[in-house]
Amino acid sequence: MIQLTNIDKYYDSKFQRTYVLKDIILEVKEGEFLSVMGPSGSGKSTLLNIIGLMDSPSSGKYLLDGNSVLDLKEKVRVDYHRNFISFIFQAYHLIEEMTVYENIETPLIYKGVKSHDRESMVADLLDRFNIVAKKDLFPQQLSGGQQQLVGIARAIISKPKLLLADEPTGNLHSTQGEMIMETLKELNNEGMTIIHVTHNEKFAQYGKRIIRLEDGNIRSDTNRKT
Amino acid sequence: MRGILKSSYQNFVHRPITNLINLIGLAVSLALVIILSLYSFGELTTDHFHKNADRVYLYGDNNKIYTPGILKDQIDLSIPGVESSVRIASTWEPPVFQVAEHDPLKSDLIFADEGFFRLFTYKTIEGNPDAAMKEPMSLVITRQLAEKLFGNKQAVGQLVKLNNSNEMTVRAVIERPKENSCLSFNALASIATQKIMQPNEGEFTEWGWSNFQTFLLLKDNTNPQVTAKKIIALFPENRRNDYKNTHLIPLKKIYFSKFEIYGTDFLQAGDKNKVLVLILVAALVLMIALINFVNISSSQWLDKIRQTGVMKVFGARQSEILRNMLAETFLFFLSALFLAAFLAVIFIPDIQNYTGIRVNPKLMFSGPFLSIAIGASFILSFLFSMIPALRVSSSNVLDNLKKNLNPQTGKSPLRGILVAVQFTIAIVLIAFTLLVQKQVNFGSSSFGFNQENTISVNITPQLNQKKDVIRKILLDNPSVKRISMCQYYPGKTISQWGTQLETGNGKKQVNFDTFAADAQFFNLMGLQLVSGRFYSDDLSTDADKVVVNESFLRENKIDNPIGTKLLTRGNAEIIGVVKDFHYKAVNHPIAALAIRNDPSTSYCLVNLQTTNFNSLHNTIQKIKKEITELSPSFPVEIAFFDQAIEKMYQSEILFKKTFSLFAGIAIVICCLGILAMSLFACQRRVKEIGIRKVNGAKVSEILTMLNKDFVKWVAIAFVIATPVAYYVMHKWLENFAYKTELSWWIFALAGLLALGIALLTVSWQSWKAATRNPVEALRYE
Ligand SMILES: Nc1ncnc2c1ncn2[C@@H]1O[C@H](COP(=O)(O)OP(=O)(O)O)[C@@H](O)[C@H]1O
Ligand SMILES: [Mg+2]
Repeated sequence: MIQLTNIDKYYDSKFQRTYVLKDIILEVKEGEFLSVMGPSGSGKSTLLNIIGLMDSPSSGKYLLDGNSVLDLKEKVRVDYHRNFISFIFQAYHLIEEMTVYENIETPLIYKGVKSHDRESMVADLLDRFNIVAKKDLFPQQLSGGQQQLVGIARAIISKPKLLLADEPTGNLHSTQGEMIMETLKELNNEGMTIIHVTHNEKFAQYGKRIIRLEDGNIRSDTNRKT
Repeated sequence: MRGILKSSYQNFVHRPITNLINLIGLAVSLALVIILSLYSFGELTTDHFHKNADRVYLYGDNNKIYTPGILKDQIDLSIPGVESSVRIASTWEPPVFQVAEHDPLKSDLIFADEGFFRLFTYKTIEGNPDAAMKEPMSLVITRQLAEKLFGNKQAVGQLVKLNNSNEMTVRAVIERPKENSCLSFNALASIATQKIMQPNEGEFTEWGWSNFQTFLLLKDNTNPQVTAKKIIALFPENRRNDYKNTHLIPLKKIYFSKFEIYGTDFLQAGDKNKVLVLILVAALVLMIALINFVNISSSQWLDKIRQTGVMKVFGARQSEILRNMLAETFLFFLSALFLAAFLAVIFIPDIQNYTGIRVNPKLMFSGPFLSIAIGASFILSFLFSMIPALRVSSSNVLDNLKKNLNPQTGKSPLRGILVAVQFTIAIVLIAFTLLVQKQVNFGSSSFGFNQENTISVNITPQLNQKKDVIRKILLDNPSVKRISMCQYYPGKTISQWGTQLETGNGKKQVNFDTFAADAQFFNLMGLQLVSGRFYSDDLSTDADKVVVNESFLRENKIDNPIGTKLLTRGNAEIIGVVKDFHYKAVNHPIAALAIRNDPSTSYCLVNLQTTNFNSLHNTIQKIKKEITELSPSFPVEIAFFDQAIEKMYQSEILFKKTFSLFAGIAIVICCLGILAMSLFACQRRVKEIGIRKVNGAKVSEILTMLNKDFVKWVAIAFVIATPVAYYVMHKWLENFAYKTELSWWIFALAGLLALGIALLTVSWQSWKAATRNPVEALRYE
């Protein structure tokens, strides 16, 4: 599904060029559950952003689902975000002025789903994540784990093929983190391709494959034996 | 104190852009308020500076301020309540002043009785003005005229030749008052001088001849109403009816009374409506600025709240926090005030030049003005810091420290309402600007006579005997199409006659404006005949024939005018009726007018054929040169009709300039406010925008989201502004004798302009926010 070839990402400052990613070659197949690990500043977020079309590489080739996705027009890129790729963040990034329900509903509005279809889709997810009772609360009124559940619900409501999670458990206690990882695992079992970044060895083991980044290079790429 | 200065500074640099917008917006609007209040103060206190201002009156009524010369003698004889009476008369044309070795120059001159300087207070620079008023052929001149005539040399004792015939001596130089005054003149001479310069016995002996303004200085505790009654009783019975509405107009009110004056106008008239409208504009500007202030500073409450939370944790008391906030706000207002005073001083000269309004910047540094300004700043800062201060300092410590306050804090409805109020003001101002423009266009497009390619040559006394020569010179010039000898010049003063009209059923008293013109006048001016005929060239058959305008018929209720006679010297007969045209300034209604076939001439109007600018210029130079040779002692002036016509609606043009300048600045300040608000809204929503984009929002959808609120406020403002603007505009138009219509498109255009301005301003920020890469916004710190 994802095919990165010789991806470089660097920033030019006055005197020097700093490489954040260097000659990355990576292929991710549909249905994979990939964990990305590495020290802080090693380029994990950058890699994820490039995969998620939020950032573009300085050089290299990127085929998504067989199509080159470099230099996309806004319309095409937005279409990918509406229908193909979703994100979960360490800081949850829910909209504070909106209720749980409204937060989850947002992507559907941009996708142009009709009001009563939206209602049933949101209701299904609230049900699935056991947060029906919280639907009219504002994000700050929830625990971190609950907020991240809402974040996941919002990410998957548009039925994306690819879910990108940047340290989704980074702000959570281990029990809540585990719950989130279980949820991701379940989604993967249902066929969703997931790439997640984590610092936590234990949570990394949820992935079927683990890559380790160091100074912008992939140091190791291991398939976990099942 | 140092602590407050330091924390003010820190708070300022924390958000430099919004704070700078806030400060500059406030300073600019305060500068406007300062300028407009100085202007209004000056206008409203016109003539207050005369020591005896409370006891000085002008005798007359709003239509009629001309009185016979003999009236003064009668008043002095028989009305004990009058301490002093002064007649003032002006010359018909400004005389030519000649001093040895200097070019002759034209300047105004008025004549007055001895008591002039007892009634009116002027500062003497040199000489003795009182003595000058007692002697014939003595002049009192202003410093400005003295400098023009004599340069730096001493003026007192010097000889001046007037109109190439009368020698006069300068006896005193006075200073023109800094304050506003209804009297405006550069040279003053006694009535005795008038008798020598313009001998006209009847002016001083006959009740039927009204050529003077009569000013009175009443004794203390004399009732002006009673005095006026006594004065009316002095008139012979057959004249009394003409003066039945006369009263004593207090000196302080003359400036805002409306009347016409003929000859050179030494009496200046103000326009109270203009002053009131500009005071209103000042109030609106202040309101816009204060709303900006509230909006911008309340957007910083969140920061403040967190800050005071920290302060409280470290043991600050509530009263201390309150005091600090108040001091900080006051400091802010005070800096804005100083900046405003600075801006005002710098820009007053330009604004005066551009708008014609009179402002005395020295007033700004007078004690009362300073204390009002600083006091008002204190009260305003007190009011505007109390609300947020109370809210901030009484809030719970823990709440304050929480990272996320109540989610609704950032989006208070109050701010929306305030912005709607601002836009209401903006829309009203825009609509009003459009209307003023429309009224000016209307005024300049409907004069009812030809304006193009016409010039006028003033017929000086030396030219008066050489009219045939002039006629020949002009008509021999191939560029000249038509000429007319007449007493008319657009916007210039015209005499007013009162006489009897012989109608089918008896005689009828009629009053009308009148001037003499030859037969070419009608053609040259392109006037339209309504009935009868214009007179022909031949003075022998058409002598004393008169053409009247439609208003003449309307005012005097005449149905069949042709053939009726006016009982003037030669029994003038009406032979034609001309369509109404604006022969006076457009803010005066067209009145009854009679155009006489009479050889008196003050101007020669010349209609030129050329349209090319260069050849026009050459033609005019040639004409000027040829005619000047015929008039060696009196300057020959060539004036362009269209410039003269511009003067006819100059007060409208100046008002338009003044109003649109101030309205424009008000709108810019309004924009600064919403710019700051959109800046803040975008900053506040950076994260939300990032989230929405990641969730599939397009740039256009983000823009819509960000601009939607502002559009909503403009829409609400439009709904409120339309009836308000309608009312104000309707009222304003009532002042005009000839008014343009209030079209619906003015409101629509004003609304659209406001919307456009708002969208442009807001979109500048919104576009930046919407196109930002969400990665930056969502990076976890
Ligand atoms: N806009 C930028 N300009 C310069 N350097 C950047 C920029 N964005 C990120 N970086 C650098 O790229 C490196 C990788 O960042 P990131 O991908 O966030 O690492 P990680 O998520 O692995 O901690 C960091 O050293 C960071 O300083
Ligand atoms: Mg990272």
